[in-house]
Amino acid sequence: MIPSQPKVLGRNLGLAVLCIVLSAHVGSPDAWYEGNAGPYKVTVQVQLPGVVPGIAQIFVRVPNDRPERVTVVANKFDATGGTPPPETATPVEGDPGLYGAKLWLMTAGSNSITVALTGSRGSGKAIVPVVNVALRRLELDPKLGIGLSAIGLFLFVGMVTIIGAAVRESTLPPGELPSSGNRTRARLAMTGTGLVLALLLFGGWRWWNSEASAFNRTIFKPLASKADLVARNDEPPQLVFSIADEEWIHRSDSSWLARRDGTSWTPLIEDHGKLMHLFLIRDDMGLFAHLHPATVDSVVFSSALPPLPPGRYRVFADIVFESGYSQTLVTSVVVRQLPLTGMSNTQRSDPDDSWFAGPVAAKGDSTRLSDGSVMTWSGSAPIVAGREAGLRFEVHNADGTPSTLEPYMGMAGHAVVEREDGSVFVHVHPSGTVSMASQMAFAMRQPGDSVKGLLGQRLNAMERSTMSVHAPVAGSVSFPYAFPKPGKYRIWVQVKKNGRILTGAFDVPVNSGVKSAD
Amino acid sequence: MATSVSTLAAPVTETEENVRSRTLAVEWPIYAVVFASTCILVGLLWDVSWHRTIGRDTFWSPPHIVEQVAAIVAGLSCGWVVLHTTFAGSPEERAQSVRFWRFFQAPLGAWVCIWATITMIMSAPFDDWWHNAYGLDVRIISPPHTVLASGMIGLQLGAGLMALGAQNRATDDRDRKRLGIIFAWAAGIIIGFAAIFIQEEASYGNAMHGSKFYRLTAMVFPIFLVAFARASRLKWPATTIALLYMGIVLVNMWIIESFPAQPRLAPIYNPVTHMVPPQFPLLFVFPGIAIDLLIRRFGNGRDWTLSIALGIAFVLVMIAAHWFWGDFLISPAARNWFFAADKWDYNSRLGPWRYQFWNLDRDASKNFSPMLFLRGIAIAIVYAVIGSRIGLWWGKGMALVKR
Repeated sequence: MIPSQPKVLGRNLGLAVLCIVLSAHVGSPDAWYEGNAGPYKVTVQVQLPGVVPGIAQIFVRVPNDRPERVTVVANKFDATGGTPPPETATPVEGDPGLYGAKLWLMTAGSNSITVALTGSRGSGKAIVPVVNVALRRLELDPKLGIGLSAIGLFLFVGMVTIIGAAVRESTLPPGELPSSGNRTRARLAMTGTGLVLALLLFGGWRWWNSEASAFNRTIFKPLASKADLVARNDEPPQLVFSIADEEWIHRSDSSWLARRDGTSWTPLIEDHGKLMHLFLIRDDMGLFAHLHPATVDSVVFSSALPPLPPGRYRVFADIVFESGYSQTLVTSVVVRQLPLTGMSNTQRSDPDDSWFAGPVAAKGDSTRLSDGSVMTWSGSAPIVAGREAGLRFEVHNADGTPSTLEPYMGMAGHAVVEREDGSVFVHVHPSGTVSMASQMAFAMRQPGDSVKGLLGQRLNAMERSTMSVHAPVAGSVSFPYAFPKPGKYRIWVQVKKNGRILTGAFDVPVNSGVKSAD
Repeated sequence: MATSVSTLAAPVTETEENVRSRTLAVEWPIYAVVFASTCILVGLLWDVSWHRTIGRDTFWSPPHIVEQVAAIVAGLSCGWVVLHTTFAGSPEERAQSVRFWRFFQAPLGAWVCIWATITMIMSAPFDDWWHNAYGLDVRIISPPHTVLASGMIGLQLGAGLMALGAQNRATDDRDRKRLGIIFAWAAGIIIGFAAIFIQEEASYGNAMHGSKFYRLTAMVFPIFLVAFARASRLKWPATTIALLYMGIVLVNMWIIESFPAQPRLAPIYNPVTHMVPPQFPLLFVFPGIAIDLLIRRFGNGRDWTLSIALGIAFVLVMIAAHWFWGDFLISPAARNWFFAADKWDYNSRLGPWRYQFWNLDRDASKNFSPMLFLRGIAIAIVYAVIGSRIGLWWGKGMALVKR
């Protein structure tokens, strides 16, 4: 467990409020994908611009091959006029196998980055879905501000001087000296010009503030949500989660949306066979639960509550829309009763629900899982913000032999990363941070998918039919990811073995890249 | 400085050729800044087309380079004029200049061009930061673009003032006419520049049945057309200026639309294959004729009455010229290279709106309301009268500029 650090925690909680509001995947906007692009294994990182329109930086790592050509192209989910020509990703100097490119992302919402490789082994493509939204406010660099102000002052004085010269001399015949009347008129004109320019500058300042305010209103905020605990008689307590956002509630009311310039949300689709992946993490990170509430209606979701000790819990709910847009809803819930009876293994709402309150290891150490096997996060190199973290975990049986891991909701493993202040939360898979359902939504979208829900039906049917076909994997699992900022993080790694869901927890300090460079 | 200037007073007797050569002493910079001013408009027309067709650009895209050439040519040539006039100018050149901070000397237009060049350069880092902070060109009219536009319009006005000063000093009819044409060209460039800023609302044929089109054009153009008409020494100044504006835009329109091009950004909803050209220019030649006739008839002594006549005439002639022109532009007959109608951005979701009128004056039941239209036209006339009055005052001042 992390030792109590009230001062640091208090300061970071303040930051957390800001960052949660400002974050898409909750503080971790980069999209990561690891998998196959045809015959090539690739790891793709998309650094999103944080403004719309903006320029995204794309990195493609091809560890085992040297393709002749790597290209990237962006497109919006509902584009009808084809795709623009792809941009060539060029090799990054000093890092063999890494290719980089910049792409303009013009519109907010669900976009895809298609990575294509061509080489001796043929050609292949991979789709990386990204959620392009405004994420942050950029303050004016003081040096730039001073420089612009100095030039602005010069231009102000220059314009006043020019107007003065114009009134004083410009209409005089060549060679004639200005009269005192000309000079007086010039002074008056200069005074008037100064006042007008001052008014214009004031208006410009007000305009700038207004533009900044308008931009701030576009900064991403997850749909409003709330979580409640409901206990009726002797029934097990239920966690009731609601998407309480009016825009979601009125998503089919075109006149309501038109009046408020609202988003016409597409329906939810299943990701790993679930409409919602909900995580409960106590503020001190001492307890973690991964639940899959079922829909009561399109707004309310409900799940049996695990046997949680009291405390305030952060609630993160991952959902995916038919457009490929994914987001993490954020709220909190306070558990007061001690102890809640909670659910037993036989009372889970969903067989894939799990929770954990066990020991926490450090990077490089091992932790014993509930079935006696051991999970190890190998490696001793310090983790640096913004650089690939090397999240690779090995699972051994009690006798030291590698464990055979079964697919857990179609994946070899699930990792949940949270910064201690809650300002970063991300649900990662071996395939990256991107939603598999989003990826499939782009891959399976057809030109005729103009009716909301049609694509979702096909996707959900396909999800169910393919969930069980993933083969068991050898006893290790890795996750492509870079921590977005320095701080103390906890990682919960979940795997499935012999039909049991096993969770290991690790704490890791993440250093700033700047300090590392020093 | 007063002493030095007094020694530069014109001699009492001069030959005609001496006088002529004196007025033309600094003529090449006039051509340089008018060229720069033209580059501003041409670059902007191409830049708008670039964004509507290709989307993606860089600091070094061809339209941007044209704009940069404009700033460099204007800045260097006017900088040379300042240094030359101040430190090595002939007595005539100094006598035709105004002083800046009591030391530097150059014609008024050169100072305006230098101010404009610095403003344009200043806008670049501001705009770059703006893109990083709020997104890439989220809106065309933004604070940094306004700074840039101030520089551009400053450069164009500076070019006009340099031509105007030479025109007003000219003693020879041939020179006066030639310099008058140069001034009219510079003025036409300004009209074209102003038209770009309201093109979203007031350039498409679809907008020409709504009073908003007439309110916007009345708000912007009478000031310039009337001012330039009064400042010019040509016989048909506003008409000439309007024709030059239309000619410059038309030539660009025909050239631009002939270039094959492909969108480089997503989402593409309209897969264009050639550069999307500017709209067919507004038919300012007709209000131009009205302005010239009225200014000639009223003379110089009745500016308030004249401005009322000009304002009413401008709006009524605009309606007469554009009402049916709007019908034509949205008809199949205009969908060809000559009129370049029905050309839309790569990210336009095409629909029936292409052939419908926009911004119609509708009542609560969504029907076209002649009363609301007439009310809008009345407001447009008020704008045009005020604009004409300001234009007459401004033009009167410009007609006197000799340095």
